[in-house]
Amino acid sequence: MKDATTASLKSRTGLWRYVPEPGHWDEVLTPAGFPRRHWRALLVALGRMGPEQLSRRWRAGQQLIQANGITYNVYGDPQGKERPWKLDLIPLVIDAAEWERLERAIIQRATLLNAMLADLYGPQNLIHQRHLPAATLFANPHFLRPCCGIVPAGGVHLHLYAADLARSPSGQWWAIADRTQAPSGIGYALENRLVSAQTLPSVFNQCRVRQLQPFFEAARAALLALAPNLRANPRAVLLTPGPHNETYFEHSFLARQWGFPLVEGADLTVRDNRVFLKTLAGLEPVDLVLRRMDDSFCDPLELRGDSLLGVPGLVQALRSGNVAVANALGSGILETALQMAFLPGLCRQLLGEDLRMPSVATWWCGDEEPRRYVLEHLEELVIKPTFPRYGQNAEFPATMSEAARRELAHRIEARPEQFVAQEQVDLSTAPVRADQVIAARHIVLRVFAVWNGSSYMVLPGGLTRVSQEDRSLVVSMQLGGGSKDTWVLSAAETDTPAVRRTAETAVTTPRSSAELPSRVADNLFWLGRYAERVESGVRLVRALLPGLSGEADFGRSATLETVLHLLGGLNYLPPEFSAGSIASQRWNLQRLLGTMVFDPTRTSGIGWNLNQIRRVSWPLKERLSQDTWRVLQQLEMDFSSTPPASTEQRFVAAMSLLDRAIVTLSAFAGLLMENTTRGYGWRFLEVGRRLERALQMTELLRVGAVQAPFEIEPYLETLLQIADSSITYRTRYLTALRIEFVLALLLADESNPRSVAFQFATLLDHAGNLQQRDPSASDSIEHATMARMLAEIRNADMDDLATRDAEGDLGALEDLLKQMRTGLFDISDALTARYFSHLTPSRLTSF
Amino acid sequence: MRYLTSHTTRYLYQEPVSQCLSEARLIPRSMPGQRVLASRIHVEPEPAVIDNRKDYFGNDVSSFAIFRNHDRFITTATGVVEVEASLLSSPALAWERVRDLVAAHASDESLAAYEFVFDSPYAAAARELADFARSTFTPGRPYAEAARELSHRIHDEFTYLPTSSSINMPLLEVFHNRCGVCQDFAHIMIGALRSLCLPARYVSGYLRSGAQYQGAEASHAWVSVFVPETGWLSFDPTNDVVPSDGHVTLAWGRDYGDVTPVKGIALGGGHQTVEVEVRVVPAERPSGCFGAQ
Repeated sequence: MKDATTASLKSRTGLWRYVPEPGHWDEVLTPAGFPRRHWRALLVALGRMGPEQLSRRWRAGQQLIQANGITYNVYGDPQGKERPWKLDLIPLVIDAAEWERLERAIIQRATLLNAMLADLYGPQNLIHQRHLPAATLFANPHFLRPCCGIVPAGGVHLHLYAADLARSPSGQWWAIADRTQAPSGIGYALENRLVSAQTLPSVFNQCRVRQLQPFFEAARAALLALAPNLRANPRAVLLTPGPHNETYFEHSFLARQWGFPLVEGADLTVRDNRVFLKTLAGLEPVDLVLRRMDDSFCDPLELRGDSLLGVPGLVQALRSGNVAVANALGSGILETALQMAFLPGLCRQLLGEDLRMPSVATWWCGDEEPRRYVLEHLEELVIKPTFPRYGQNAEFPATMSEAARRELAHRIEARPEQFVAQEQVDLSTAPVRADQVIAARHIVLRVFAVWNGSSYMVLPGGLTRVSQEDRSLVVSMQLGGGSKDTWVLSAAETDTPAVRRTAETAVTTPRSSAELPSRVADNLFWLGRYAERVESGVRLVRALLPGLSGEADFGRSATLETVLHLLGGLNYLPPEFSAGSIASQRWNLQRLLGTMVFDPTRTSGIGWNLNQIRRVSWPLKERLSQDTWRVLQQLEMDFSSTPPASTEQRFVAAMSLLDRAIVTLSAFAGLLMENTTRGYGWRFLEVGRRLERALQMTELLRVGAVQAPFEIEPYLETLLQIADSSITYRTRYLTALRIEFVLALLLADESNPRSVAFQFATLLDHAGNLQQRDPSASDSIEHATMARMLAEIRNADMDDLATRDAEGDLGALEDLLKQMRTGLFDISDALTARYFSHLTPSRLTSF
Repeated sequence: MRYLTSHTTRYLYQEPVSQCLSEARLIPRSMPGQRVLASRIHVEPEPAVIDNRKDYFGNDVSSFAIFRNHDRFITTATGVVEVEASLLSSPALAWERVRDLVAAHASDESLAAYEFVFDSPYAAAARELADFARSTFTPGRPYAEAARELSHRIHDEFTYLPTSSSINMPLLEVFHNRCGVCQDFAHIMIGALRSLCLPARYVSGYLRSGAQYQGAEASHAWVSVFVPETGWLSFDPTNDVVPSDGHVTLAWGRDYGDVTPVKGIALGGGHQTVEVEVRVVPAERPSGCFGAQ
C-alpha cells in the first residue's frame, strides 16, 4: 500500500514533486519521504486528479469565493477595498487520535484562561498571592477597571476562544497566541469548508471528514443560553464595528449563519439599564450581545471616550445583570504573549493539573532573571511589546545590526516590563498550490472553542493559515498570506459525514420584518434612491449618445440640439458649453458624456452614484441575497474598467457598457420583484426607488417638454426613448408625437411603470402598508402628500396641460410639475423625520 | 474647617437633546482628615434613572439617564464637609527606596499604590519627563522632599493659562508649551514621577473660595504620592502648596479620565456652551453669604 501510493504520486503525475523544507516538521511526508497514513486517501485522490484537473477545481473554488463575496479587508489599503479571500485547495489533514489530544489541550487552556479572567476581574488572588506579577495586570492597557466585579454572562468570562497552534520540528503542537477578546476566523473556517467540500466533493466524502455544521448549531444554542432572565425567545445581536473592519465579511456571515441581526453601536440604545435594538417598530429588548468589537470601544461613557462606536450605558446595563455580552468586557487582557510565561504554574494553581500543551517559550523582562537571560540570548529570540499597540511589531534581533541590537537592549533595560521575548518557532510545512507547482509553505492552525454551559466544545476543524512566501515564518492574513481548510478525520468507520450547504437566506429584508433596525431601513431607502439615479443616468446617456455620432437618424433619435438642451436643462453642462462650432460642441459633449460614464469622481455621474450605492449597500451586505450582491458587484466592475484612450473608442465602449448596464439593472429590479419578501426592508427600498424615479421623470418632463423649444418633436421622441416607452406610444397612438399623448403616457398613465402617476400610486400602497404596522403613521404627512399628488394628476386634463398660454408656454404643466417636485421633497423629509430622526450622532462631553 | 460646598455644571444646547446618559463624581470622599456631613446632587431635567455606586478606586459615582427632549442639563452638587488641617510630615525615606519597596509591594497598601506607578491614558511616562524630574530626584533624596520640590518647579516653570490647553492635548505637547491649567500640571507631575517608577495619583477636588489661589471657583486637581509606612501625601503644583484644610477632596484615580467630575453622552444638541461654578465657603459664616459674591 505504502509503495503503491508513493509510486502513484511520483510517477503518474509529477504533481507531487513536493520537497519539504529540511529542519521543519512536514505535515504530509515523513522524514524518509513517505506519506503519512492519514494523508494517503487525499493524496491518492489528488494524484488521480492530476494537475490540470486540480487547476480546474482551483479555479472553480476561486469562482465560488468570488460569488459568495468572501473577502478580507486590508487596513491601510489606499482603495479601502476588501480583497478576495485566499484559499488553497489542499486541506490540512489531522488524524482522529491526534485531534483528540489537541481538543483536550484546548479545552484545558480555555478553562484556565477563563479562571484567570474570573480572578483578575474579581478577588485578584493571583496578584495578592504572587502567582502572577502585579505589573502584568496593572500595566495592561486592556485591563478595564470599570468592569471589575461585574458578574459575567453565565458566570463565565470567556465564551468564545481561539488559539493559534504551531508544530515544532519534533512534531509537538505549541500554542503561539491566545485570542480571548473577540476571536475572528471561525466564520472563515466554515466558508473554507463550504468551498472545499463543493470543489472536492468525492474526495471529501472518501476521507470521512468531520462536519462543522453541528458545532455551529450547538454553538448557537449555547450562546443563546447565556441570555439572562431566561426569556422564552431571547434576542441576540452580533455587534460589529462596521464595514471597514478587516473581518466584516465574517461578521455578516456569522450573523446570517446564526440568525442574529448584525448591528452597529448606533443601532442599540440603553434605557432603564436594559439594552434595546432600535427598530422601525420601536425599541426591542436585547438579551445577548455577541461582540466583534474590541471591549474598550463598547461603551464610550465608561470605557474609551474617544470613539463613539459602542453603546453608551452598556457597562451599567451589564452591572444590572440585564444583558449578556460575549465575550465578557475586559477579556482582552489575556491577548498578550505575557501570560504564556506563567501558564504552567497558573494551571497547577488554578486547575490542579499540568498544562497539556506547551506555549512557545516566553520570557517576561519585568522579572529580573528572565530579563538577564533575554539580554544574554537576544539573537536567538523574538522581542515583542508586552502590550502591543497598533503598528508595533515583533523585532528580530538576529537580523539586526549591532547598533540596533544595542539600542533594543537599552530600551528593554529602561522599561523592562514593556517587553517579552519568545523563542523563534520553526513552523511546520504543508503543500500549497503555488504557480502551477506544489510547494512547501509554513502553516499556523487556528482552533476555536465555545463555552457550552458546563465546559468547552472545540470546533472539529479550524482555520489553517499559510505563509505567503517560500521560507517566510510570518503567517498573517494582513500581510497577504493564504488559508486552507482543515480536515479532522473521524475515528469511527460508521461516521460518514456529508456536508450540506445551509439554505441561503436569499432575501433583501431581515428575517423578522418588525425588527428591522432603523439604520438599515435608512440604508435601504438610499440604496433604492441611488440605484434609480444610476438607472436614470444610464438611460439618459444611452439615449443621448447616438445624437453625437454625426450620423444620427433624424426624427428617430436625439440630435445635437436636443442633447445640448437636455444636458443643459438637467444641469450637466457648464454655461459656456453652447458656444463654439458644431464640431467642437460635439467633441466636447462626447467628452462630457464620457466622464459621466467613466469618471467616478464626477459628482452625480454614473460612477459617482455607483460609489454611493457601494457606501450604502456595504453595511447591508448580510441582508442582500448573494444574487443581488453579485448584480451590484457586476455593475461596479463594469464601470470601473479602464476606458479606451481615444474618444472614438471610448464612445463605442460606452455604448456597449450602457447596454449591458441596462440589462444588469433590470436583473437588480427583477430580483427585488421576484426574489424578495415584502417586508419592511423591501418597502423602504421600493419607496426610495419610486420617489427617485418620480423626481427624475418630473425633471425630464420639465426640461424636455416645458422648457423645450417650440419644435418639440425631437425632444418628445428622446423623452419616450429614455422612458423606454416609444413602442407603447406607437402602438397606442399611431400618430405623430403630440404633447398631450406623451404626457398621458409619461405623467398620468398608472399602468406605465415609468410614469409619475405610477410612482405615486405605488408609493401610496407602500405608505399604506407601513401605516398598518405603525399606528403612529396614520394620517401622516407623507401619506397625505402622496394621495394629494396622485389626485392632482388624476384630475388634470392632458389637453389643458398641453395647451400653450398667451406667452406660448406650457404654464399649466409647469405649475403641476413644480407641485410634484415640492411634494416629493416633502415626502422624503417626512419619511426621514418619522423613521430616521434618532440616527443623529451622539457625542461625549466632560467637565 | 467646615465648608458648605456647591458645584454647578450647566450644559446649554442650541438644539434639543433627545437623550443623555451621564456620570458624575461629585460626592466628596470620606477619609482620614475629611468628613462628609451631608451631600446631595440635583439634576435638571429630572432623570428617568439614577444609579449610585462605588468605582474601582472607591469613589462615589452617580449616573443619570434622561430620555426626553431638553435644551439644558444642569447638575448641582451641594455638601457640608469638614476638613482637618494636615500635620506637615516629611518622611525621610529616599525615593529609590520608595520605588523598590512599592515594586516589591510587601503590604496591601503598597500593592494598591503600585497600581499608580504605571502609565494611564492621560499621564504616561516619557523620557523627557524623566529628564525633567531627574535634577530634583538626586540620589538618596527623600521622596516627600523631592516631590515637594518638583511641585514647586512646575509652579515656577509653567504658566497658568486657562485657555492654553484642552484635555485632549497630548501631555508632552503641554510639557513643551510650558503652560496649562491645574489638570495639566497634575498630569505633568504624575507623568514625571511615573517616569521614575514612582507611585502618584490624581486627586480631583475644590479649593476654598476667595483664596488667592488659581483654580478656586472651578473644579481643581492636585497630586498625591505614596510613601510606605507614612501613606499618601498631597502636593498642589498649580499653587505650590501642600493641601491642608483649604482643599476638599472629591475623588482620586490614575488621571483625569478616572475621576472626571461630570461627563455625559448626548444625542443631538448642536452647538453647546458649558458653565461651571464652584463655591466652597466656611460654614461658620452667616448663611446669607453662601452662594453670593
